[in-house]
Amino acid sequence: MRRSVLALVVSFTLVGLMFIGNVALAQPVVKIGAIFPLTGASAATGVKLKYAVEVAEEIINGLHPDIDVPLARTSGLPKLSGARVQFVFADHQGNPEIAKSEAERLIQNEKVVALIGCYQSSATKPASAVAERYGVPFIAGSSSSAALTERGLKWFMRIAPNDDMETKFFFDYLKFLNQNYNAGIKRVGVVFIDNEYGVHAAEMVDKWIETYKKDGFELAARIKYPTTVSNVDTEVQRVKAARLDAIFHASYIADITQFVKGYRAYDVTPKAVLNYCGGFQDPKFLENLGRDANYFSGSNAIASSLFAKMEVAKRINDLYKPKAGVDIDGPTIEDFSSALVMADAINEAGSTDPARVLEVLKTKTFYAPYFVSGKVKFDDKGQNEYSASVMVQVLNGVYEAVWPVEFKTAEPVPAFPPWRSR
Amino acid sequence: MLPQLLASGVIMGTVYGLVAVGLGLIWGVMDVINFAHGDFLMISMYSSFWVYTLFRVDPILSWPIETALIFALGYLTYKVIIKRVVDAPGLSALLATFGLSLILRNAAQFLWSADYRYLPDTVVADRRLLLGPVMIGLPQLVAAFGSILMTFAVFYFVRRTRMGRAIQATSMDKDAARLMGVDTERVYAFTFGLGGACVGFAGALLSTFFPVYPESGALYSTLAFVIVALGGFGNVKGALQAGIIIGLAEALGGFYLGTQFKYTVVFLIYLLVMQVRPKGLFGW
Repeated sequence: MRRSVLALVVSFTLVGLMFIGNVALAQPVVKIGAIFPLTGASAATGVKLKYAVEVAEEIINGLHPDIDVPLARTSGLPKLSGARVQFVFADHQGNPEIAKSEAERLIQNEKVVALIGCYQSSATKPASAVAERYGVPFIAGSSSSAALTERGLKWFMRIAPNDDMETKFFFDYLKFLNQNYNAGIKRVGVVFIDNEYGVHAAEMVDKWIETYKKDGFELAARIKYPTTVSNVDTEVQRVKAARLDAIFHASYIADITQFVKGYRAYDVTPKAVLNYCGGFQDPKFLENLGRDANYFSGSNAIASSLFAKMEVAKRINDLYKPKAGVDIDGPTIEDFSSALVMADAINEAGSTDPARVLEVLKTKTFYAPYFVSGKVKFDDKGQNEYSASVMVQVLNGVYEAVWPVEFKTAEPVPAFPPWRSR
Repeated sequence: MLPQLLASGVIMGTVYGLVAVGLGLIWGVMDVINFAHGDFLMISMYSSFWVYTLFRVDPILSWPIETALIFALGYLTYKVIIKRVVDAPGLSALLATFGLSLILRNAAQFLWSADYRYLPDTVVADRRLLLGPVMIGLPQLVAAFGSILMTFAVFYFVRRTRMGRAIQATSMDKDAARLMGVDTERVYAFTFGLGGACVGFAGALLSTFFPVYPESGALYSTLAFVIVALGGFGNVKGALQAGIIIGLAEALGGFYLGTQFKYTVVFLIYLLVMQVRPKGLFGW
């Protein structure tokens, strides 16, 4: 009997200790909302962005002494007693209205202290307006519409270069090709999707063409196509009729893939095709198009060919690739960065108080060795001042960095060879 | 440029027409709008993709598999879902197919991810014909010929066979057909299957040049509604003719008015026709 009582007491004590232990081990959790297109037409990209944010969460909460980024060498947020960071995902389905309501839900119901997202600029716009109303910091990773940082918002920041910066980058690259490779590029056209991203990209071309007219460039075509498009034959016919030397494309992965097939089918051979941050950067572009993807170009925050020069990016990719099945790309690493920078700012603030987090975001230069610029710093409008991209061109099925020359991994091919000779 | 636009418009129009034939049959016979019609198309494209990827059977040869598969999917859809709501009042059938659409689309994303997939190196891939100034991709040309053949096959099936006449009879007056000994239940199930077979066939041909992803069928479905309304409910030839009109409107309107307006032109034509002739251009 006495033995039974003793066993009972010991059992209760052990269970009690386990319970107390669990309570002692339980750490506070800092919730950050992450809104992406996880279903719908852009879900292919949205799901990859989610994987990248999950990698950031893994790096922040786990111990990764071999990865040279903030919060990797510690577990959780050290200045908040090791609090874990939890990214709460929401799906906006590519719909601005849903992006808005999901931002509202995350702030009010899930009690997130900050937000990141939303990939499509048209969704980022209303979601960030909600964050502004509630006084919650919002970092957009890869939304590139220049208009987003022109609204005078206090709580909104953006990692990616905007369409304004990218358009100037494109014209400078074309000048470089003309001057150094005698490319003879004059007639430029912009082909763009009819949404926030595409329309603003086209507006930036309208703006910058005035500056670059003295360099011999003219805007020969503006071709806008619907967001839901069943086939792009008509658009390709218009491109062909315009006899363009260079095309600036603001398109997502499905559209740009169809355009490339159309260019091949109708023998459209411009000298250069430059893609804004969008579908071109998705490695599925190479997988789906095979050798037809060669010679297309675009700005990109990272390329697999740069991994040899950028050890940190390679280590991040080692965690990302098993989840996504493809190498990390430009938009994806920009959203990875938005997650890491937000957590870094909360840690630096030592608090989840929005005002203190915002102060850190507005004043600190963040260490970001996974970008060629190596850092992130937001200007008065919330735009990352150091959002340096490289121009990449697909050569032999690989995204090679071709410009600026200090980052190049291969020589650019200044003009498309004819389709029939490929 | 005009001959090229005409050719492109007619070619895409025939495929739109075939997709609409399937929708129109179901709509015309049992007065059910199948919101999952585009998703049947998407399932057919995935089937074509997987048959090619796993067994290297080209879509040009594997179309009987896709056609039979989507026929079975349509037949089962009737037996499991539509049968219970076909005579229910209000929007029951509409909501049931809308729910089915969501299930199919999300199941596709769950099973096969949201990635866009293309079938590389099919028999017709990257081949094209040059007819003077007109350039036509072989995949599109094969899809157009296939769609025309399938449309006429369905047309003659409905006109000449016993089941076809039963379909016509049920479409005209279900109760009278039943009194004449027609098994209308069987006719309904078969019609849903036949509608599926049309998109099953179209999906196999489309997969040679159109990306395969969970939303593949969404726009085709929307265009099919317009085409059915123009062509007349249950009118097989009318659907083909209306499909070609829509294909031409898309190509010519997009080129001359601006590509952002191409669907505006399509829906404008639809609205105008509905004002003048609510039964559609070729409706009974």
